[in-house]
Amino acid sequence: MPDWVIRSEGFGKRYGKRQAVSGISLAVRAGELFGLIGPDGAGKSSLMKAVAGVLKYDSGTLEVFGTDMARDAAAESVKARIGLMPQGLGQNLYGDLSVEENVDFFAKLRLVPDELARERKEKLLGVTRLANFRTRPMKQLSGGMKQKLGLVCTLIHAPELIVLDEPTTGVDPVSRRDFWQILAELVSSQGLSALVSTAYMDEASRFARMALMHEGRVLAQGQPKEILALRAGSVVSCVPHEQVRARAALAANYAQVEALGPRLRVFVPELAREAAEGAVTRLIDAAGGATAYDSGEAELEDVFVALLAGSHTSADAGEASAAPAAAGNAAAPAIEAISLARRFGDFVAVSDVSFTVREGEIFGLLGANGAGKTTAIKMLTGILPPSSGGGRIAGVDIARELGCVKSRIGYMSQAFSLYLDLTVSENIRLYAGLYGLTRAERAARLDWVLEMAGLHALADTLAAELPMGQRQRLALGCALVHRPRVLFLDEPTSGVDPVGRRAFWDVLFRLSRVDGVALLVTTHYMSEAEHCDHLALMFAGRIVADATPGAMKAALEQDMGALYEVSGEKAPAFAPVLAAAGITGVSVHGRNLHVLCRDGARLTALAGGQGGLQVRARALTMEDVFVERVRALEKEAGR
Amino acid sequence: MKLERVRALAWKEWREIVRDRLFFALAFVVPALLMVLFGYGLSFDVENVPFALIDHDRSVQSRDYGYRFIGSRYFDFKGYAADEADAYDLIAGGEVRAVLVIPPGFGRDLAQGRPARVQTLIDGTFPNRALTIRGYVSAINAERSLDSAANYLAARSGTPYADVRARLQPVSLEVRYLFNEAVLSIWSLAPKLIMLILMISPPFLTALGVVREKENGSIFNIYASDISRGEFLLGKLAPYVAISCVNSLLLWLMAVGLYRVPFKGDFAFFALASMVYVACTTGIGLVVSVLVRTQIAAMIVTMVITLIPAVLYSGLIIPVASLSDAASFVAHAMPAMYYADIVAGCFLKGAGGAELWRPLLVLALYACALFAAGYALFSKRPAS
Amino acid sequence: MNALSRWCLQLRVMFGKELRQLGRDRVLLAFIVYAFTVDIFLAASGVSLQLKLASTFVQDVDHSSASRELASRFLPPYFQVKGALEDERAADAALSSGRAMLVLTVPAGFGEDLARGEPTHVQLQVDTSNAVLGFLAASYAEQIVARFGLETQQAGKTPLPVIENRTRVWFNPNQEDSWFMGISELLNVITIFSVLLPAAAAVREKERGTIEQLLVSPLTPLQILLPKVLSMTVVILAGTALALFCVLRPCFGVPMAGSVPAFFALTALYVFTSAGFGLLAATVARNLAQAGMLTILILAPMLFLSGAWTPPEAMPEWLAVFTHFSPLYYFINISFGLLLKGQSVAALWPSVFDMMALGMAAFAAGLLRFRRQFG
Repeated sequence: MPDWVIRSEGFGKRYGKRQAVSGISLAVRAGELFGLIGPDGAGKSSLMKAVAGVLKYDSGTLEVFGTDMARDAAAESVKARIGLMPQGLGQNLYGDLSVEENVDFFAKLRLVPDELARERKEKLLGVTRLANFRTRPMKQLSGGMKQKLGLVCTLIHAPELIVLDEPTTGVDPVSRRDFWQILAELVSSQGLSALVSTAYMDEASRFARMALMHEGRVLAQGQPKEILALRAGSVVSCVPHEQVRARAALAANYAQVEALGPRLRVFVPELAREAAEGAVTRLIDAAGGATAYDSGEAELEDVFVALLAGSHTSADAGEASAAPAAAGNAAAPAIEAISLARRFGDFVAVSDVSFTVREGEIFGLLGANGAGKTTAIKMLTGILPPSSGGGRIAGVDIARELGCVKSRIGYMSQAFSLYLDLTVSENIRLYAGLYGLTRAERAARLDWVLEMAGLHALADTLAAELPMGQRQRLALGCALVHRPRVLFLDEPTSGVDPVGRRAFWDVLFRLSRVDGVALLVTTHYMSEAEHCDHLALMFAGRIVADATPGAMKAALEQDMGALYEVSGEKAPAFAPVLAAAGITGVSVHGRNLHVLCRDGARLTALAGGQGGLQVRARALTMEDVFVERVRALEKEAGR
Repeated sequence: MKLERVRALAWKEWREIVRDRLFFALAFVVPALLMVLFGYGLSFDVENVPFALIDHDRSVQSRDYGYRFIGSRYFDFKGYAADEADAYDLIAGGEVRAVLVIPPGFGRDLAQGRPARVQTLIDGTFPNRALTIRGYVSAINAERSLDSAANYLAARSGTPYADVRARLQPVSLEVRYLFNEAVLSIWSLAPKLIMLILMISPPFLTALGVVREKENGSIFNIYASDISRGEFLLGKLAPYVAISCVNSLLLWLMAVGLYRVPFKGDFAFFALASMVYVACTTGIGLVVSVLVRTQIAAMIVTMVITLIPAVLYSGLIIPVASLSDAASFVAHAMPAMYYADIVAGCFLKGAGGAELWRPLLVLALYACALFAAGYALFSKRPAS
Repeated sequence: MNALSRWCLQLRVMFGKELRQLGRDRVLLAFIVYAFTVDIFLAASGVSLQLKLASTFVQDVDHSSASRELASRFLPPYFQVKGALEDERAADAALSSGRAMLVLTVPAGFGEDLARGEPTHVQLQVDTSNAVLGFLAASYAEQIVARFGLETQQAGKTPLPVIENRTRVWFNPNQEDSWFMGISELLNVITIFSVLLPAAAAVREKERGTIEQLLVSPLTPLQILLPKVLSMTVVILAGTALALFCVLRPCFGVPMAGSVPAFFALTALYVFTSAGFGLLAATVARNLAQAGMLTILILAPMLFLSGAWTPPEAMPEWLAVFTHFSPLYYFINISFGLLLKGQSVAALWPSVFDMMALGMAAFAAGLLRFRRQFG
């Protein structure tokens, strides 16, 4: 038998009239951590379910362990060797059962002998650090813990292949890193094969090999570096003096220009770093000039967007701008939180939170699940009365003049809460009416939102039929229909593909820079935190850091050292060596190691002793900042 | 077939049911609650009928006639009414359900040996009550009428009153009430309520239980594991069958204890038949759950397909023999009627396996067919 | 734009939204139409509590002309003689198997005794496993036998001072069960939907998270809840019209004696009051399934303690008290008053008042809980 665990050829699946996936050909080797990367609706789940033998498919061939999965009986015969963890936080677990009861049930379901089950359970609960929570009902676990428990239950019968469908979606960055760490260890120590999907592009480096999926097709597959090589190019960033003008100048020449706080980041195809930096400098010098140039290699997301550029047809957001409403009190900050606090019974959800957001500023609120972000937003938008403290929106006190505040703010919640059974224009008209716009205004704003969201052609389509990216822009349009001066966005980009996400941030950029709207954003995507002018990091209901992204990175570098990537054939084997040397900030990324340490020279020396290893400095990301900060705080709180 | 797996699944299901408070209430409290509500709320015993009297005659005879009603345990005298207009208001306002009108000259006619007429006005809004009231009225009236005729004849002919009366009623009707000697409607109702509630509750619980697993995605654990369909169905449904068996015992206790219905038959046979019936109705829930996707759809569908046939076509209210041909066909096609025969037989008629093996056999076949259908329709690898 | 017209605009767009959403839910719509038509038709045509063609067997030991005459008086519509039986054993078997509901036994010598003027008797065995029908059958049989006796004795003689009690049944002279069953099923359906629909609409907003979008908009809780109730009231009134004008009147000839507009107005009021109970359930439930289960817990007592089947005077006292907490109890008085009795609204005022009080309490409680839940 060949060492292929999964082979598919021309695999296709349709639901009614909708073709979910088609023409998928891929192969997963034994002992490999294989990734499926793509946004919601890319067809990842259909493929994974078929692999696990829980979904019939329509066309092509699919072999798992060399068995053709076309017939039910054949699919049944390999199920003992497979473990499936379906999508959704703790969805496959039983909420009313305790951690231990869940594990025991899965062991019995899989007929694991008692002795062996006990042994494995202890080991897995130990690895996942769930052993202390064994009597807690599953529904009371945090998102990250639920996913770890899901992993334990999937592994209890020692399958040879595990299929994990978006195990990290909706999980905060710390738990996400933790999860990958555990998964990488288990895969390497038990010789498992794993097929794992994710919607986060920045998790791509975790996989040995992967397939990039979009709208039911595979765009590319191979090792991360092979995929990166498909669209060679460099990324240049700088701080322009006139950001709007500079952005326009770059956008005229390059397809991928992003504003990250005061910076601009541009993907320059084909050129190497120096050449790219030169080309960008020339363009920007003609548009006001810039400082603090930096360049680096393209990331997977850039490549993904570039790969799509040819085939992607979804309408891009129009250039309409949110014509400013009557200016508020210009002197007052747009949002002020003053010692906000909220208790639910004994539980303190938010305590003593203060911050200010100026007009035209993009303010990011970061934090793990349950850190209090959503509660803080709910208090500032008047959904939830604070237990103590207060806030002002454009100088108006929330508690005293709630009605006035409500008509000045826009709010877009986590799930783009649109009425899915209403059409696009019905949704917009509804919100226009709710905010009491006059008839003439309603017609004008309907037009504006359709233009902004690029939905003119789809005005009479049900919201349920829109892809996620368009739904999100529609939700944004609905939140903007009454020209608010302040916009709250609670995880506005979950489930949206990178192209849609970039278009969305373009709109936000224009809103803040051109129209002076103040934006407060929470997000799980740490790459998005880079877009913010200012960040506040929440932990256990408090704000523990409040600075610009750059300052936060600098502070981390000060405290913990710089980030290095160790690559080479023997990189995984290098981890124990580092541990023995007392270097702790090590994480496994596919075939590479990421090491956070103060003494770069020592690391290089250690690596040199191994032979065949390369050490390279990497720029710290906001995710690094977030994870390290929160881990330190958790350790402190645990003590 | 691995019993260990079946046991694990059943145990897990049981824990979930017990820990979900709303579901638990639905499983154990609702059947008992329905038994109380239906028992008292669907009872057709008509007693203490509030009534009023209009006596235009005001003679000794009219007072005596009126007193026959006032003294009856079936009627609850609310007072005298002035005239028909008054009577209309009383009946329309729901204060009385009947008004007895004695016209002027009532006493005189009777004294002179002429037939007399009275009138009873009855509220027909609730036809069943009106019918029963009419029955009471004509019984009391017949008695009093015979008395009056006998008195008159006895006075005229000089023969003793008792002889005259006997001659006026040469044929007496000896009525023997069988099975429900006291003619209490709760005796006939309560056993059939067991049938009704066990028709509503098990399919409802089962459909919800299975669809819940489908809706929240944990069914994929089953799809993805090597558990067989038979093992799954057995383990998943066993707790529901068990709960419903406990419920049938509970309902039996309520019928015997709370409503004092005599149980004359063979308990072992009753228990066996109840288990088969519960398996059958659980099977209905299974088939529904395989076909629908959401819990709300499961609720609606089970309600529609169980409740109406069980109320209308099972003999609960109308005997199957009095149904129209089409309705009778429906009744025979549904399991409820067969179990209704069994409960009525076991409770009131003292029947057992010897008389009732046929309906039991039908129920057993029904259960097998439903489970076979559920087994065939359930796929571990659905198309979507 | 002044405050009032703004308030009205907000209410209007919410109202339109609710109706549109309901209109797009095909399955629910189909279910509503089914309930207001087929379900009511089935209930009205299916259930009859009258004694109809009770299956009667005759065990005639006498074989005289008198015995044949008596047996021949057991006629439709109440009775139907299905056959003759030979002996006691056959009678027992026919009764316990359910083939026979009645067995009339005429003893030997019946004809002779009667001719001689001797008192005699016949026996009637009644299966009372259905108590109501058993009782009715026995009382009709009594009447038949008494009349038979009186007629054979008094043939050709002078009239006697007997009393004839003619009953006159008001509001439903022929005791059409279909009127009662049809209307009471209509009331049940109205009750079920007026609790379920607003509850479902409110819980759906919670489940999908759209409620937050409404909460940050300048809507008051009343403006969020009121349109749901209003729109469902419109839907239910439409269903009621469908049931009345397409089922109850054409198929069963329900009279509609009173003011039809008043009936619709009071139905709207009733829907409004029971919607309060639904909204209360919606504030407790987290998802649609829970809301469904909770409404069942609310509806079952409401429907069965309404006095439709068993009048409060026939219930145990402790239970009869609860009747007064079922808004349906009052609505039954109102509807039967308007549809069958032809009462005026003024006469129904006490019921209307009590129903309103109950509904306002539930609505206020729902609104209060909603406010507390969402600040």
